Amino acid sequence: MNRIWTLVSTEARIELRERYALSGILLYVLSASFIVFSIWRQLPPKEWGLTFWVIFLFCSLMAVLKTFGKESEGRYFYYYTLYHPLELFIAKALYNMVLLLFIFLMLWFVLSIMAGNQIIRVDWFMITGLMACTGLSFLLTLITSIAIKTQQNASLTSVMALPLMIPLLINLLRLTAYSLGTTPDDNPWNEFMMLSGIISLVVGLSMWLFPYLWRS
Amino acid sequence: MKDNTSIKFFGLALWKWFSMLILIYVFIAGWLIPLNPGIIKVAPESIKAGESVVLEVTGYNSSFVSDTAQVRAWLRLTGDTVIKAQHVQVWDNRRLTASFYIPSVFPMRQEAYPLTLILDHDTDGTSVLPNAVFATPAENQNPAEMALWFSDKVEHVHVKSGIQFPFRNILSETIRNTYFHVPMWFTMILLFAVSAWFSLQYYRNGQIVYDQKSVALIRVGILFGILGLVTGMLWAKNTWNAYWSWDVKQNMSAIALLIYAALMVMRSSVEDQMQKARLTAGYNIFAFALLIPLLFIIPRMTDSLHPGNGGNPALGGEDLDNTMRMVFYPAVIGFILLGLWISQLVYRTEKLK
Repeated sequence: MNRIWTLVSTEARIELRERYALSGILLYVLSASFIVFSIWRQLPPKEWGLTFWVIFLFCSLMAVLKTFGKESEGRYFYYYTLYHPLELFIAKALYNMVLLLFIFLMLWFVLSIMAGNQIIRVDWFMITGLMACTGLSFLLTLITSIAIKTQQNASLTSVMALPLMIPLLINLLRLTAYSLGTTPDDNPWNEFMMLSGIISLVVGLSMWLFPYLWRS
Repeated sequence: MKDNTSIKFFGLALWKWFSMLILIYVFIAGWLIPLNPGIIKVAPESIKAGESVVLEVTGYNSSFVSDTAQVRAWLRLTGDTVIKAQHVQVWDNRRLTASFYIPSVFPMRQEAYPLTLILDHDTDGTSVLPNAVFATPAENQNPAEMALWFSDKVEHVHVKSGIQFPFRNILSETIRNTYFHVPMWFTMILLFAVSAWFSLQYYRNGQIVYDQKSVALIRVGILFGILGLVTGMLWAKNTWNAYWSWDVKQNMSAIALLIYAALMVMRSSVEDQMQKARLTAGYNIFAFALLIPLLFIIPRMTDSLHPGNGGNPALGGEDLDNTMRMVFYPAVIGFILLGLWISQLVYRTEKLK
């Protein structure tokens, strides 16, 4: 656990040292929301939720894309001798999760300013966001680790990850509809269980498969 | 895939002959067995209560002329609440007129009353058209006419014997799609499942054979998936009036195909053979696990027009009767065997290269 924490904090320190990375994401979120909002002009609750997750999806893809990109081959070899692949994977996924959480909060803030905060049940939206970040960070980290081994990793990550994200996304939208109050359904637990089922599937499988895929 | 030990017959394994025979049977029986007689149209569609009406009925595959004098007709409100036609006049095999007196009072109160038309005679048996006409309430209501609703019952109906597929309103001839569309998806799922299993074997043993087998299965699985989508779209054009209506089942199956298409793209962009095999195996296992919620859980949580969802009939009840089962089950087996056969051929061609 300690070793994982060291990796996460190293990652974070590198990221913070290169300011352009985080501010790049911030700008991406801003400009994406701006474009979408200037097309929509106004966002009723239902569309607010849809817009939120569409922007979030593409921002998260963009943010996670460079997970395995920026290190040189040498550093990987160094990591490889020091850490078990699973530790590396968990560290990367945790770091990405924090990154996605950052995007989530930022996007929420930006959309609230632009279109008003439509969320009625804030606690449930926080839970939804937390689950989304967990599921997507593990899924995307695994897919980037596959894509990095191919010739054209950027486009392949989206090609491979987007259809796999759909089961997650559909359940996220249902849970968001509950926090927006756009569904007459008064019981979010069904969707919650469903979503946590899929997320644990994603987390379990990716932790099982990563050490195998990482060998080269 | 494990062909070396199987019994051969004219140089071809027995199960391949078997699949060919089944499919020939399925195509002949599936296309040629006629549908049961049914009713496709009733005019006028809306009638007024408390008046006499003459309904023009258009039959399908019917032979009214053979029992000109015996054709009986009812309009049914619910259960036993029926009125019998006062007079039925047969014009030809496909056309008859039935005159009814609609009582001015109804056992319950509604804006409009949907009535089901029931026809019965010896040659065709019973045919039913649900919600054939809508009756609007009468201006002057005469409570004494309530008794008319209960004066007759649908009794002594004839049962049509012989081998025929059921006639379903709206579906009519497209009911035959059951034998082609549904087995395509069964085959696709099975091929993907076997492929995931071979990927798991590759994960365990690292023998390149398993990788080649799983890829051959995925390719053929994609083919069957596309065929399933196309047969479904043609059917949807006839029944839903659009090739693509963004129904949850259509979307999810398209996404499933996208996932596997992405796998093929990923494969083609890796040079190293071992690397390619390992990435394929990993992604394949991951994708198949996510395919299960995609195809089996999410469509069940949403409203869908697809048969089997939201109260729409599908496999079971009246809509897959025994005659259809006699074609449907062999069709499933036949197409699955065909899928395995094609994958075997794909695998062998790849190996020869």
